[in-house]
Amino acid sequence: MAAVTIDSLLQNPTLLFRPKAKVLLKPPRSLDCSRNRKLPLSRGSCLCSFNPRRTIHVVRASSSETALIGNFDISSSDDILYKDIFPVKRIEKVEGKFFIRLDRSKDQHDWQLTVGCSLPGKWILHWGVSYLGDSGSEWDQPPKGMRPPGSIPIKDYAIETPLKKLSEGDIFHEVKIDFNPISEIAAIHFVLKDEETGAWYQHRGMDFKVPLVDYLEDDGNIVGAKRGFGVWSGAVTGQYRIMSQVAYFLVIYRIPSEPTLGDVGALQQFSNVLLKSEASHADSQNNSIESKDSKNKNRCLEGFYEEQSIVKEVSVGNLVSVAVRKSPETGKVIVCLETDIPGDVVVHWGVCRDDAKIWEIPAAPYPPETTVFKNKALRTLLQPKATGNRSGALFTLDEEHFGFLFVLKLDDNTWLKFKEDDFYVPLLGISSVPGQYGQSDSTSEEISSKSYTDGIINEIRNLVSGLSSEKSQKTKKKEVQESILQEIEQLAAEAYSIFRSSITTVPEEVVSETETTKPAVKISSGTGTGFEILCQGFNWESHKSGRWYMELKEKASEISSLGFTVIWLPPPTESVSPEGYMPKDLYNLNSRYGTIDELKELVKSLHEVGMKVLGDVVLNHRCAHFKNQNGVWNIFGGRLNWDDRAVVADDPHFQVLMFSLILKALAIQGTFEGRGNKSSGDNFHAAPNIDHSQEFVRKDLKEWLGWLREEIGYDGWRLDFVRGFWGGYVKDYLEASGPYFAVGEYWDSLSYTYGEMDHNQDSHRQRIVDWINATNGTAGAFDVTTKGILHSALERCEYWRLSDQKGKPPGVVGWWPSRAVTFIENHDTGSTQGHWRFPGGKEMQGYAYILTHPGTPAVFYDHIFSHHRSEIASLISVRNRNGIHCRSLELYMVG
Amino acid sequence: MEVSVIRSSSQAKISKTELGCRDLRFCFGKSNDKNKIFSRKPNSVCFDSQISRFRKAGLRFTLKAIHSDPILESKSPATSKSLDRLRLFVGLPLDAVSDRNSVNHARAIGAGLKALKLLGVEGVELPVWWGVVENEMGKYDWSGYLAVAEMVQKAGLKLHVSLCFHASSQPRIPLPKWVTKIGESQSSIFFADRSGQHYQQCLSLAVDDLAVLDGKTPVQVYQGFCESFKSTFSPFMGSTITGISMGLGPDGELRYPSHHKPAKSGTITGVGEFQCYDTNMLNLLKQYAEANGNPLWGLGGPHDAPTYDQAPNSNSFFKDHGGSWESPYGDFFLSWYSSELVSHGNRLLSLASSIFGDTEVNVYGKVPLMHSWYKTRAHPSELTAGFYNTASRNGYEAVAEMFARNSCKIILPGMDLSDEHQPHDALSSPESLLAQIRTTCNKHRVEVAGQNLASGAPGGLEQIKKNMLGENPIDLFTYQRMGAHFFSPEHFPSFTEFVRSLSQPELHPDDLPSDEAEATESVQTSSDPNIHLQTA
Repeated sequence: MAAVTIDSLLQNPTLLFRPKAKVLLKPPRSLDCSRNRKLPLSRGSCLCSFNPRRTIHVVRASSSETALIGNFDISSSDDILYKDIFPVKRIEKVEGKFFIRLDRSKDQHDWQLTVGCSLPGKWILHWGVSYLGDSGSEWDQPPKGMRPPGSIPIKDYAIETPLKKLSEGDIFHEVKIDFNPISEIAAIHFVLKDEETGAWYQHRGMDFKVPLVDYLEDDGNIVGAKRGFGVWSGAVTGQYRIMSQVAYFLVIYRIPSEPTLGDVGALQQFSNVLLKSEASHADSQNNSIESKDSKNKNRCLEGFYEEQSIVKEVSVGNLVSVAVRKSPETGKVIVCLETDIPGDVVVHWGVCRDDAKIWEIPAAPYPPETTVFKNKALRTLLQPKATGNRSGALFTLDEEHFGFLFVLKLDDNTWLKFKEDDFYVPLLGISSVPGQYGQSDSTSEEISSKSYTDGIINEIRNLVSGLSSEKSQKTKKKEVQESILQEIEQLAAEAYSIFRSSITTVPEEVVSETETTKPAVKISSGTGTGFEILCQGFNWESHKSGRWYMELKEKASEISSLGFTVIWLPPPTESVSPEGYMPKDLYNLNSRYGTIDELKELVKSLHEVGMKVLGDVVLNHRCAHFKNQNGVWNIFGGRLNWDDRAVVADDPHFQVLMFSLILKALAIQGTFEGRGNKSSGDNFHAAPNIDHSQEFVRKDLKEWLGWLREEIGYDGWRLDFVRGFWGGYVKDYLEASGPYFAVGEYWDSLSYTYGEMDHNQDSHRQRIVDWINATNGTAGAFDVTTKGILHSALERCEYWRLSDQKGKPPGVVGWWPSRAVTFIENHDTGSTQGHWRFPGGKEMQGYAYILTHPGTPAVFYDHIFSHHRSEIASLISVRNRNGIHCRSLELYMVG
Repeated sequence: MEVSVIRSSSQAKISKTELGCRDLRFCFGKSNDKNKIFSRKPNSVCFDSQISRFRKAGLRFTLKAIHSDPILESKSPATSKSLDRLRLFVGLPLDAVSDRNSVNHARAIGAGLKALKLLGVEGVELPVWWGVVENEMGKYDWSGYLAVAEMVQKAGLKLHVSLCFHASSQPRIPLPKWVTKIGESQSSIFFADRSGQHYQQCLSLAVDDLAVLDGKTPVQVYQGFCESFKSTFSPFMGSTITGISMGLGPDGELRYPSHHKPAKSGTITGVGEFQCYDTNMLNLLKQYAEANGNPLWGLGGPHDAPTYDQAPNSNSFFKDHGGSWESPYGDFFLSWYSSELVSHGNRLLSLASSIFGDTEVNVYGKVPLMHSWYKTRAHPSELTAGFYNTASRNGYEAVAEMFARNSCKIILPGMDLSDEHQPHDALSSPESLLAQIRTTCNKHRVEVAGQNLASGAPGGLEQIKKNMLGENPIDLFTYQRMGAHFFSPEHFPSFTEFVRSLSQPELHPDDLPSDEAEATESVQTSSDPNIHLQTA
C-alpha cells in the first residue's frame, strides 16, 4: 500500500532518522483512491473497473455518454438482438512539471519558498517545519506569519495550503511561503498531494526537506542537498502500480565546500541508471548568504530552483459498445464491437458453448488483423473508424455459439476486463437474457473473495439443474461434473462416518484427572507416547540445495537437544514438483532432498539421537508416467504400474481432476477472506486422484507404506491432504503399517461472518474431529482451528476467542486433545509460500499457547532456526518439566 | 398454458409449432409420424410406448391438463396418467426422528441431503411414525418431523411422507404407548394366526370401525392423525411435500402379516399363514359364512394350510393340483379373506383422499410384492397375504379398482428384484408378478411408483433401471434407504453411477429443446433456491 519508490538503494546507508511516522504513514484510505475517491481507479488486481450497466435504457443519463452512444453507428440499427454499452475506466498518464524554488522575496529581506505544479488538479502542499535543536525529524506547525492565506492546520504538526494559479494564463499552480531566515526554523518539510486522486507525491518515500541551516543531518531526503543529486520518484497509489518514471535533478544548491569525490562518483554512476533526466540547472544564483549567526552555526542560505517531471494517473472513462444482430442473408450472428478508446486496441476474444464460459476459438472467417493466440483465443486489432477517434470490428459467428467473450488489450499493455472477468455477450437465447444477466450483475462487488467460490456454487447449481432437468447435458463441462462428484463424495463420506459411528454428539474425551501421575505409556499411532513434541524438519525452500538430508543430519543432535521427540521429514518420493507433493514413482526415493541412501543415513542419525521420524506421504494423488489411449495422463509407471482404474473418475471410477488442490485453494482463499484472486484453473489438473476404493490400490499403498517403514525406517506418517479421501481408508493404511505416530493434514476454512472470524468454530473443528473419528482415532490431525483462532486472538488482542462456550480451548484441542497436533506455521502457511502466515511478531505468543496446552505441539523449522530458538527451547523445557502431555488438563495461564 | 386432450381426434398430432408453451418444456421430435402420443380409446387417454421419449425430454403433462376435459374427469378422474419427468426419491432413515421427537443424525442427514441434491435426486421419503407423534391419544407432537421437513425444504428437495400406523422392530419404533397398553388388555385388536399368536406391530383390519381405542375407532384415530398432519404441514403441502403414503398395514403395506416370522437364513421363504384368527376377524368370517349360507365354513380358517415357513405342498391347501384352494370352500374363504383386505384399504385410502384431496399432494398406498411361489398355480404367498391371485384369477383387479376409486397411486416395492437372483427352488418370480400388477394397474389407470426392497440386492440397481426406463417406465421411484450402508464406499459409488445413468440424456440433437426453451429453462433453474454448499 505504501507508496513505492525505487530509490531505496540509492539512499545514504548512514541514515539515522526515519521519517516521522505520523506524517508519512498516512491513513491508508488516502492512498487507496479506489475506495474513497469518486474516480474509481482500480479494484483488486485489475487496473480498470467499470460499473455494470447493461442495456441502453438503463444507462445512467450522463451527457457525455449519451452523446457518445448516439454517435455509434450500431445503436441505430433496427435488427439488433442485443446491445450493451460497457463503460470502462482506464488509467491514462499525464506528465507535467513540478518545481521548487527558494529565493529572496522582493523586499530582499525575507526568503520565499515556491512550490509549483503544471499538472491540472487540486494540488495541496502538506507541510511543516522543524526548528533548530529539534532532535528528531518531527514536524511542527510553522509560525503563523509563515502560513499563506488559505492554509489549514492539520493537527499540531502540519499545514495544508492549496496551490493556486496566479492568473488564468499560468501553467503552474503555485504556493509561496515567506519566511524570515533569522527565525529558529531549521528546515521546511513538505509533500504534495493531489486532492483529486488522493495521490501523494513524495521525495524518496519521505517528505521533501528544504534545509535552512546547513548543519542539519542528512536524512537523505534533502532537496538540493550537498551530496549533489536527488532522486525523486512519483509513487502513486494505484494499488499495484509502481510509477516507472523517475526524475532526478542536479546540484543547484551551492555550498561553500567542495563536493567530495565520492559524491561525484555516485552521481555519475546513477545518472547512467536513471530512466529519465530532466535536470534543469537552475540559474546559479550565487547569492552570498548573509551569515546571521543563530545559536551555533552559520546559516548560509542559497536560493535554488529545481524542476522535476511528475506523472499523474488519471482515470479516463471510455465506452465499449457491443451489438449483436443476425445477418438476414447468411443466418449468422454478427457481433459489432466499437470503442472510443484511443490508440491501438486489440480485442482478445473467443466464444463459449455454455455457462461455464470456457473460451473456444470459433470457425473462420475472422475479421482482418486477427491472429490466433495460443490456441485459446483470437486477437483482433480494432480498425479505426472513418468518423471520430473510434475503432471497431465486426465478428461473424455461427449461430450455435452460446456467448461471445472478450477482453481488451490497450497499446500500453494494459488489459481492460469486466469486473475481473471477461466481458460477456450472450448470443443464444438473447431475448431472455436480461433476467439472467441481471443476476450476474447483482453479484456483489464488495465481497470479491467469495466470488470465486460463489462462482463454483453457481456452476454446480446450474449443473445440478442440468442433471435433473436433463437438459443438453453434453454441453456441460466435464470438469464441473467431476467437481460435483467430488463434492458429493465428500458429503457422502461425512454422512457415512456419522451414520456408521452412530455418535450423534461430539466425542468428548475423558481426560485424566490426576495431573501428577504420568499416564501409563501406551503408544498408539494417534498419539505416540502422548509426550511427543513435533519438529517440522523442512520448509518450502529445503529442496533447493539438493542435499537437505545431509544438512538436516548435521542438525539432528541439535534438534533433539531442544527437546523434540518426533521429526517430520519432507515427502521423499520422486515428484513432478521439486517440493515433493506431486509424487510420481512411489518407490523411487531419490528426490530433490537427496538420495535414498542419504535419507536412510539421516533416519539412522535421527534414531541415534532418540527421535522418531515421520515420512510425509501423499496418498491423495499421484502423477502419471504415461498417457492412456485417449491422451489422458493416468497410466502410472514405476513399481506400482497402475492403469487408469486407479484413478478416481467421472462415472465415478474415472476422475482425472485434482480436486484436492481446488479444495485446498478454496480453503486458503476462505482463510484469506478477500485477498484471493481467481486462480487459473490450469494448475488444478496436475495429478490424477487415487481411487482408494479400488482394492488393488489399497493393497499396493499398504505394501508401499510397509516398505517405507522397513526399508527407510520411518516411524510414522504425516499424511498429506487427507480431505481428499475418506478417513476410513486411512485407518486401513495405518493399521496395516503400524506407525508409532501419524498425523493428517485436514485443512479447510474457518467460519467467517462478514469477514470477521466467528467466535464459534465448532463446525470447523467438528469436521476435523469427524475425520479423526473416521480413522478410528488411529491418526491425529493438525489443529487448523486453533491456528486460525490464534491468528485473530493475537493479531487483534481478542483473547476472549481462546475460550469456547464451555470454557474449553476453542480448537480441536478442546474437544479431542490427544489427537490434536497443534501448530502455528508450516511450509504452506508460512515459509516462502505464506498462504496463511501467522501474525508477524506474535509467533512466540503462539508457541507459548500451544506448548503449554494439551495436544501434541508441532514447531516449524523456520522458527526453530531463528531468533526464537532459545525461547522455544525454554518453552519446551517448561512443558517437559511440568509433565504436560497431549491429554493434560487445561493449564490456564494467568495474565 | 394447459394442454387439452382433444377427444375428437383419435390421434392428436402435436407438433412443435402448436406448443409454444415454455412452461411445459415440451420437446417433440420433428417427425410427426412418430408422435402418436395419444391414442384415444373410449373415455380414456392412453399413452403408447413413445412416451418414454417425452418423459426423458422432460415432458410434463399436468393433471390439470387432463382435468380440463370434463368428460374424462367425470368418468375417471384418477386414471389419468400424470407424466412427469423421472423422479427419484431416497428414503430417509426409518429413525430419522426418534421417539423423543428429536432429529437423529441431523448432521449426517444434512450432508446426505446436500449430496442427494447435487446428484440430482428429486426428493426424500420420510417415514412418520404414529408411535412417535401421538404419544397421547389425540395429542400430536410434530416438532421433529417439522425440523426434517425444513431441512428438506432448505436443501431444495421434495418430500414424500409415509404415514406409518405400524411399528418397526429394527430400528425399534413401537406403536403409541397408549395403544400398546390397550392391546395388553385387549389383544383382539391385533391380528392372530392359527396358533393364536398375535402380531402386535399393527392393528387388525377387523377393528377398523370398532371403537376399541378409548371409545374411538382406529379409522377415527387415523383421521385425527392425518388431519393434524395436514394442518401442521400446510406450509409444505404441494410445495415441498408432493406425496403422502397412507400406512395400510404391516410395514405400511396393504396385506396381512402372513410372513412376519423371518425365514431362517439359507431357507426358502415359506408360504406364510392366514391371519384370520383374532376374535374380530373370526366374527366377520362367521357373518360372511352365514350370509353365504355356509355357516360351518365360518368357524375358522383352512385347516389344511401349511405353517409359516413350510413349502406349499407340505399340506393340501396350496397343492398345485387338487389343492383345497380350488375347492368351493377355498374360493369362499379366499374371496372373503381378500375382500376384507381390499375393504380395509378402501377405508383408509378414502379417508386419506378425502383429507388430502384438496391439496396438490398425491396419495399413495403400498402394495406388497409377494413373489414367492409365484410360479406355482396357487400363489400361496399372495393368498396368505390377502391377494386372491392364482393361476386362474387376477387378484389385483379388485385392488387396482379400489385404488382407482380413491384416486390413489400404488407404490410397488421390489423393483430391484430379478428372477435370476431368486433361489431356484422358491419358484419365485418377482418380475412376472410385477408385470402382472402393473398391467392390471395400467388397465385401471392407477399410476405405479416404484421402490426397492433393500439396497444392495445383487443386480438391484440394473433391475431398477430396467424398470424405470424400460418399455413401461415408471416415473417415480423411492430408493430405500439412507443410512450407513447407503453412503458406504461399497454402495454409494454405484448408486451415484446409477443416478447419473438415469439422467444421462440420450436425446437425438433433434429432440433437444429449442433455443428459446432452453434459455427459459436456464433462467428457471438458475433461480433454484436453497442450495448451500460448503465448498470449503
